[in-house]
Amino acid sequence: MRRWADRIHLAARLLVSVAVLGACGRAGDRQTAASQASGALTVTDDAGHRVTLPAPARRIVSVAPSSTELLFALGAGPQVVGRTTWCKYPPAALAVPVIGDGLNPSLEAVAARRPDLVVLYRSALNEAAAAQLARIGVPALVVKQDRLEDLARAAQLLGVVTGHSSAGDTIAAAIDAVLRTPPPPRHVRLAFVVWDNPPMVIGAGSYLDQIAGLAGGVNVFHDIPAASATVSLETIAARDPQVIAVLDDSTPVGEPAYTARPEWQVVRAVRLRRFVHLPADLFGRPSPRTAEAVAELRRLLEAWR
Amino acid sequence: MDRDLILALRNVSARYPGAAGDALSGVSLDVRAGDLLAILGPNGSGKTTLVRMALGLLVPATGTAEVLGRPATAWPRRDLARVVGVVSQREENLFPQRVRESVLLGRYPHLSVWGGERPEDHLAVARALERCDVTALADRWIRTLSGGEYQRVRLARALAQEPRVLVLDEPTASLDLRHEMELFELVRDLVDTHGLAAVVVTHHVNLAARFADQVLLLDDGRSAASGPPTDVLTRATVERVFAWPVAIEPFDGRPQMIPLRKPSP
Amino acid sequence: MRWLGLAGLSVVALTLAVVLGPAHVAWADLGRSPIVRELRIPRALLGFVVGGSLAVSGASLQALMRNPLADPFLLGLSGGAGLGAVAAIALHLGGPWALPLAAFVGALVALGLVFRLGLIGGWGGGVELDPRVLLLGGVAVGAFAGAVMTAIISVSEAAQLRNAFLWLWGGLSGASWDTLLVLCLYVPVPLLVLLAAARPLDVLALGEEPARYLGADVTALKRRVYLAASLLTAAAVAVSGVIGFVGLMVPHLCRGVWGQQHRALLPASFLGGGALLVLADTAARVAVAPRELPVGIVTALIGVPLFALLLRRWTAT
Repeated sequence: MRRWADRIHLAARLLVSVAVLGACGRAGDRQTAASQASGALTVTDDAGHRVTLPAPARRIVSVAPSSTELLFALGAGPQVVGRTTWCKYPPAALAVPVIGDGLNPSLEAVAARRPDLVVLYRSALNEAAAAQLARIGVPALVVKQDRLEDLARAAQLLGVVTGHSSAGDTIAAAIDAVLRTPPPPRHVRLAFVVWDNPPMVIGAGSYLDQIAGLAGGVNVFHDIPAASATVSLETIAARDPQVIAVLDDSTPVGEPAYTARPEWQVVRAVRLRRFVHLPADLFGRPSPRTAEAVAELRRLLEAWR
Repeated sequence: MDRDLILALRNVSARYPGAAGDALSGVSLDVRAGDLLAILGPNGSGKTTLVRMALGLLVPATGTAEVLGRPATAWPRRDLARVVGVVSQREENLFPQRVRESVLLGRYPHLSVWGGERPEDHLAVARALERCDVTALADRWIRTLSGGEYQRVRLARALAQEPRVLVLDEPTASLDLRHEMELFELVRDLVDTHGLAAVVVTHHVNLAARFADQVLLLDDGRSAASGPPTDVLTRATVERVFAWPVAIEPFDGRPQMIPLRKPSP
Repeated sequence: MRWLGLAGLSVVALTLAVVLGPAHVAWADLGRSPIVRELRIPRALLGFVVGGSLAVSGASLQALMRNPLADPFLLGLSGGAGLGAVAAIALHLGGPWALPLAAFVGALVALGLVFRLGLIGGWGGGVELDPRVLLLGGVAVGAFAGAVMTAIISVSEAAQLRNAFLWLWGGLSGASWDTLLVLCLYVPVPLLVLLAAARPLDVLALGEEPARYLGADVTALKRRVYLAASLLTAAAVAVSGVIGFVGLMVPHLCRGVWGQQHRALLPASFLGGGALLVLADTAARVAVAPRELPVGIVTALIGVPLFALLLRRWTAT
């Protein structure tokens, strides 16, 4: 009997809170980005949806490694109650329970963490998931995290919803500063080869292309607008990068397996074994430590200047 | 051997796995050059099983099944196909094909793996088409043929094998009177003028009686009677095997069967 | 005349594949450029052999399975190959040839399983390969291997594993003279076995029992054709991943021109499949340069409209 009573009580509270949220949403319509009135706040996420929270989020599930790192950088680490298997930085994040691999998030696993905010990176699948979460009363933010300027905006957005606005502004300013730094004058032509068969490279849509530019490199596939793309081996050979950047997930760092494949010998940088190894920790996602990443790549490229 | 004994089954029996009784038990038959043998019997009496055994697809549980003095199952299929030509009950046409191509398949047992068709193969095909009176159809698509034309084409294919014996399993099952008669006349003529032997499995007691030299009447896997039609197709035997009252009247020197109405009780 | 046309088409396809590409190579440099010598020529030749093998395999399997929808990848080989590739990555098998080898082994395991499933007792007393059971077994084994592969990828933490899918649909990027040489040493045996089965396959089209009466050793024929066609497909998937439609459509396109006799159909399918895949690969490399399209998509884009046209013509008559 008592359980039933509890449930009815809970349902009533849910109804009330939905009504309040709706009122807040309408009230917030006139405001553009954020509202702090009476503790409730409303933000517009990167999918264009208005998301309203009664108060800064206390229990956050982060469904992308980049947002997990960002949340910890903002000082909101203790508020993170769920992460994906891929969220391994900072090391403190490893203590947070895993909700899955994040590719096709299991809503039940997410809801089981009783979050008051879910952060998803922007993709068609995740937008659908966000809509479903909203339907069960869990606010979800869809955040674009492809380029460095996305990250600056994400830092501010997440700063507001976690109650760490000033930290968000600081990180955003730091990223803006990195973006404004003039790159070193002498350019090293490089290609990011992320897979060998079929060959996949990083294009202008990726933060890595930006990092390369800031570190005094030129991505030879800068003309491809997408974040990554399949290209022909002969295109890589013809564009003749001086050096190939390899994203290393695993230690120990070795030469990529395709170095030994006969067809790859046509690419001069492969033939001459000219690789720079980028630790996935720092380069595997757009990160608030961008300045560090830029400095590291700059150092690595020194040898080829 | 007397006159060329082509097929010889001695006392054969067969049982399908899981079946309660024998599909065949103790059946014998001889087919000689110039013979037309008809195999008669009700549904499920073992006609098709007997044919499969004679053609080496089934190993007899007891007894022997020999083709030209050699066990049927010991023959390589290619060699056997040069002795026995079969028009089976059913076949499929997976891909569209023309009559000439289809009859040319009958030359398969005569062709080597890598060699092409030789002039003699085309000659044999032309001869077979001619004998079955389907030369005019040679360039037609198989699926445009009528039932009677199709059966004649299939007979032509068996003839293109240049066999010594033809085996036809219910060749007139879906043919009208004229086509049925034409096919039996054709088979009879091939036996008479070309020294072939023929085995025809059929439900048509009267056609068997008119055309066959020998009749084998099967009943539940056993031979009910065998010999010339006049000896086999007696009223008592036919009524017992087919479980229906009949009258037998002679016509043109052959017994003809007239099924009777069931006498009212 | 039609043979001349097909030979001409093959030569044109190979020439285009060598002359065209996303990288600019001057006419005068065609003979000297390492891009042409080390990438385009081996890739074109490899594509030709793979396309031809898939088409011959498809044509033979359509006759064996008595199913015009039969495709070399219908019999579970792609699932086996994918599982092999995933296993190689998961077990950290290193080396430049690990993936193709593992995929080949995976395809062979699937082949063996499907073959065993397809063997059933016949009424002749012995064991017979039943094409219908083979088809069902192939679909089942393929689906199971695919499920295991996806499961491993889902629970695993290695980001590399996702790339197994990329690899499986990868196309001809891995072409080199070495790959070509290995394939050219391997392919002739199953290819000759299938060509030798050409005439018996004609006979088999009438059905198993009629084929036996016409002198075909159907029991051995079915095993030979299944094994040879699958071995060809396993090699193709190891060097170029799963390339759809070539094995399904080219045989039917060739049937429209050469008729049903496999002695003509199989060689025509080889040339037609080779030419189609080489043309498709050239288009894949050039159409959206500097990016590259998956070649399987281009074979479908070229092949399906042709196929639809042909289907309409058949159903009209």
